[in-house]
Amino acid sequence: MMSRSDDPSASRSNRRRQFLIGMSAAATGALAAAPAHAETAPTQRHVTDAPNAHASAQARWPFYGKHQQGITTPRPAAGMVAAFDVIATTPDALEAMFRALSARLAFLTQGGMPPELDPKLPPADSGILGPVIEPDNLTATVSLGNALFADRDWLRPLKPRRLQRMTRFSNDALEARLCHGDLLLQFCANRPDTTIHALRDIVKMMPDTLVLRWKQEGTVPVLPAAAKGRAESARNFLGFHDGSANPDAGDAKLMQRVVWVGEGDDEPRWAVRGSYQAVRIIRNFVERWDRTPLREQEHIFGRRKASGAPFDGRTEFDVPDYARDPDGRVTPLDAHIRLANPRTPSTARNLMLRRPFNYSNGVNKAGQLDMGLLFICYQADLEAGFITVQKRLNGEPLEEYLKPVGGGYFYVLPGAESADDYLGRTLIEAARAAPSPT
Amino acid sequence: MKPQHLLAAGALAAFLCGPAAAATLDLVEPIAAYKIYVSEKLQTLVTDTKAFTSAVKAGDIATAKRLFAPTRMSYEAIEPIAELFGDLDKAIDSRADDYEKAEKSPEFQGFHRLEYGLWAQNSTEGLAPVADKLMADVTTLHQRITDLALPPEKVVGGAAALMEEVAATKISGEEDRYSHTDLWDFKGNFDGSQKIFELVRPLLENSEAAFVKKVADNFDTVDTTLAKYKDGAGYQSYDKLTDGDRKILASAVNTLAEDLSTLRGKLGLN
Ligand code: HEM
Repeated sequence: MMSRSDDPSASRSNRRRQFLIGMSAAATGALAAAPAHAETAPTQRHVTDAPNAHASAQARWPFYGKHQQGITTPRPAAGMVAAFDVIATTPDALEAMFRALSARLAFLTQGGMPPELDPKLPPADSGILGPVIEPDNLTATVSLGNALFADRDWLRPLKPRRLQRMTRFSNDALEARLCHGDLLLQFCANRPDTTIHALRDIVKMMPDTLVLRWKQEGTVPVLPAAAKGRAESARNFLGFHDGSANPDAGDAKLMQRVVWVGEGDDEPRWAVRGSYQAVRIIRNFVERWDRTPLREQEHIFGRRKASGAPFDGRTEFDVPDYARDPDGRVTPLDAHIRLANPRTPSTARNLMLRRPFNYSNGVNKAGQLDMGLLFICYQADLEAGFITVQKRLNGEPLEEYLKPVGGGYFYVLPGAESADDYLGRTLIEAARAAPSPT
Repeated sequence: MKPQHLLAAGALAAFLCGPAAAATLDLVEPIAAYKIYVSEKLQTLVTDTKAFTSAVKAGDIATAKRLFAPTRMSYEAIEPIAELFGDLDKAIDSRADDYEKAEKSPEFQGFHRLEYGLWAQNSTEGLAPVADKLMADVTTLHQRITDLALPPEKVVGGAAALMEEVAATKISGEEDRYSHTDLWDFKGNFDGSQKIFELVRPLLENSEAAFVKKVADNFDTVDTTLAKYKDGAGYQSYDKLTDGDRKILASAVNTLAEDLSTLRGKLGLN
C-alpha cells in the first residue's frame, strides 16, 4: 500500500546517494584547508554579522587547520556551550580522550552516515537529524578550564599563564551549577537541532571520560542576505545591534594580534595557536529594560537603537571619535561602548573578539523572563582582554539591567592540522616531555 | 534449588518457546538463578520492612531511622522487577516531586513519606497508616513476583535500567533527600545490576571479551569508590561524597548504562 516516495528504504538510499555525491564534491573543496565555503552567505564577513536565513544544510567548515574553527568563523544562527568534567588522571587516558573526541568532532562537523547496527541494539545515532547527518555549518571548538590543570600534578606546570578560575565581579551572582568545568565544547550551526545532535553524540560516545556539568544554548536572529554591501550585526535581547565594533575576523594579521597566542608570547610552547575564551551567562532584566525610555537606553550603550550608529556617526560601522568629545557631551563617559573600549593608544591592547548568542530559558520564580546574553569572547591575553575590560565596566549604568550568573574561563586548544593529528596533541607531548613530578 | 524455583524455571522454559527460543535457551539457567536472587531479596525486604514499620508504629524514631536505609537496599537491588508492577512501585518508592503539591500531597506515601516524617519532621506522628500501607504493599509485591514468570528481556534489561535509575535520579542525591542515605541505595542498585551481568557473563565471555572486561572494570571502579564511604554495615551520608568521587561514580554509571544497554541485543533478545 506504500507509494514509492513513502517507502522509507527507497528514500533512505536516495539520500545516501545524494550525500555521497555531496561528499565527493566536498572532498575537493571544503575539506581542504582553505575556507572554500561557497555555501555560506557571502555578505557575512564579520563574525557577528547577522547570519543568512538561507544557509545550506550541506555547508561545512574544515575541521582541520592551524586554529580551531568556531572562533573567526562567521557565527551561524544557533550556538551552544557545554561544560564537562574530565575523568582522566594519566597522560595516556587524557590522550585517549582527546583522540576520541577529535575523531567524533571531525565526523560530526563534516557529516556522514552513522553505521547501521543490528536493530536489537540501541541505534548508533540519536537519529534526530535523520539517517544522514548533514554538516549544517556545524563547528566544534574545544577548550580547557583551569581545574583540568590544577587537579593534575603533571599538567599544573603546563597551565597557560593567564588561565585561572573565574572569580566574582562586583555585579555577579554566580551559581555554582552554571560555572567552570574541565573542558568546554562550543557547538555552532545553522539549526539548534544540529548542535543538540552533536552534544547527544558526545554524551553517548564518551561517558567514560566526559561528565556533563552544565550547558547553555543561544541563538541570533537571521536576516535575508543583504542585497549588497555588508550585512548588519545581529541584535541582542536588549534590541541593540551587537558586534558592530568587533575587530575584523577576516583580517588574519589582526586576529594574530588580538585573538591567537603566538610564538613570541610568554605562554607555554604547546599553547601557540590557541586562544583564551571567556564565557559569561548574563541575564538581562528585559521587563525593566522595556520600561526604560529610549533616550536613556541609547545613552547607556552610547549608540542609537534603530541604526546602531554611535552618536557622532550614521551607520553602526562608523567609529566614534572620543578625542573630540573629552567631556562626554556626545557619548557619555560611562556609556557601555566607551568604557569597554575608550579607544586610546594604551587601551588598544585590551581588544577582544566577541561572538555571543542570545539565550531564552523560561520564566523565573518571580514570573519574569529568564533571558539574556551568552557572552563569549576570545583574546590572546585573558587579563589584558576580558578581565581588564570587565573591570572597566564594573559599575556601568547597564549593570542595573544585567546579572551575570555563570560561565568560566577556558583555553582554546591549538587546531588539529590533519587527520593524523588530534586536538590536545601539543599539550600531551609537552606533558610527556616534562620531568614527571614525584 | 527449592521446588518452587524449579517450577518457575520450567514455566520459563515453556514461555521461551517463541521465535527467539534458540537465542534465549541459554538464558533459562541464568534467569532461574535470578529468580532465586529476587525471591531472597523479597524475603529480606518483607522481614526488614516488618521491623522498620513496627519501629515507626511504636514511635521509636531512633530505631526507625537506623532501619530505613538497610531495609531499602533489597528493594533497590530488584527495582526493575518491582517496576513491572507500576502501581506498587509508585506506592512504595515514589518521591515528593512526583506530585504537584510535593510533601503536602496526600498521595505521597511509602518509604519516602516515612523518611520525610522521620528526618524532616523528626516525628512519627500520623505515620502509622503509612507504615501499615507500606507493609501491605511490600507483602503484595512479594506475592505477585513469586507467581510471575520473569520475562527475559526485562531481567537482562534490568541491568541497564538500574544504572539509568542511578544516572537519572540518584547521582544528584535527590532520592533520599531527607536522610542522605543515598549511598546505600546506590549499593543496592549496583549489586542488582552486577548480579544480572554476572549471571549472563558466561554467555558472553568468549564472543565479547572486551565488552565483558570493560563492564567488569567499571563495576570495580564503583566498588572501590563506594568502599571509601563504608561505615559499619552501611554507608556514610551522601554529603560526605567528594566532588571528585561523585564525578567518578557519574562517569562509571553513565558508561555502565551505555554498555549494559547493549546487553539485551548481544544476547539476542528484543
Ligand atoms: C548582557 C551584556 C551585554 C550587552 C547586552 C552588551 C551589548 C553591547 C552593545 C549593544 C554594544 C555596541 C555594539 C558593538 O560594538 O557590539 C557593545 C559593545 C561592546 N561590548 Fe558589550 N554587551 C554586554 C556585555 C559585555 C561584556 C561582559 C563585555 C566585556 C567584558 C563587553 C564588551 C564590549 C566591547 C569590547 C564592545 C565594543 C566597544 C567598542 O569597541 O566600541 N560587553 N556591547
